[in-house]
Amino acid sequence: MKLLLGLAIGTAIGAVMQLGGASSYRKILGSLLLKDMTIIKLILMTIAVTTVGIYALDLVDLANMDIKPTYVLGIIIAGLIFGVGFAISGYCPGTCVLASAEGKTDAMFTILGGLVGAALYAVVYPFMAPLINLTNYGEITLATVFNVSNGIWIAIPFSAILLLLVFRVLKDRYE
Amino acid sequence: MHDAPVLSWKVAGLLLGLLVILATALVKPFGVSTQYVVTDAIVLHNAAPTVAEANEYINKYGEKSDWGVGYGWMLVLGMFLGSGISALVTRRFRQRETASMPSMWKEQFGNHPGKRFLHAFIGGVLLLFGARLAGGCTSGHMISGISQLTVGSFVFGASIFASGIVTARMLYKKVMS
Repeated sequence: MKLLLGLAIGTAIGAVMQLGGASSYRKILGSLLLKDMTIIKLILMTIAVTTVGIYALDLVDLANMDIKPTYVLGIIIAGLIFGVGFAISGYCPGTCVLASAEGKTDAMFTILGGLVGAALYAVVYPFMAPLINLTNYGEITLATVFNVSNGIWIAIPFSAILLLLVFRVLKDRYE
Repeated sequence: MHDAPVLSWKVAGLLLGLLVILATALVKPFGVSTQYVVTDAIVLHNAAPTVAEANEYINKYGEKSDWGVGYGWMLVLGMFLGSGISALVTRRFRQRETASMPSMWKEQFGNHPGKRFLHAFIGGVLLLFGARLAGGCTSGHMISGISQLTVGSFVFGASIFASGIVTARMLYKKVMS
């Protein structure tokens, strides 16, 4: 049952992302070259909706939250590596799957590379402990940092700022 | 433009947001990159079980003689199907001028499929190495993580755009100048 649910939610997510242009190399590189804001606006719009939604669910205890630990040093290094891969391939771990389904053969090589990259990480994992254990602040959120008892009070203004950004501030250079 | 998305970022963002909320309500927030390890683990547990069990990281995922395909893996399979279906329905399957490379890449680096495959492959290696070190990717950290206001996810988002922007500028120097 859970498997079918995963398949159904995944199918809907895949279709929406494909229709929104998330699997387009031109759109992704356009974002990184700061020339085409479509993908950035798509991501920020998604986050704006999701943040309020998740914290509203959390008010009635219906959100199955999964807060990842914040190990600052490891995450910065990881992000820098990821960003290079993002620009070189023009995909991310999810969008290369979408692009492969659209018949883009280069994206299939990104999936293969991804499988190799994950395996490589498994090999060096024992040596990564310092990066993960140093500067590890645990499962913290902005609500923890600002000592707010309920995240919704941060979620609402945060989403409002994102909406302001996508509707009023960010403009495509070619628009 | 020829590849203008079918849905605007407003509609796509709203729908994607609602789907992530639904996933969080029913199961858990949305993430993709773990499934690469799960896939590796499934293959390794079946092809070379001793190697799989000896590896501290792989051993956490998948099991011997159990294909271990769970909710998350099915979600990624669904993403593949959903993208394929919507590309076919909107007549955008293999719509690209050259299936093996984006036209933008071709203009910059020439008509060399092998070189494009190499870029795509190396990019993939870096993406997943980074995502596993961070504990998530664009979906798990950026979208689901920031939406839960996770501090580390903001750090990850800032850091991928910092290096992504610099790398993209180096790759497309000609275009930028």
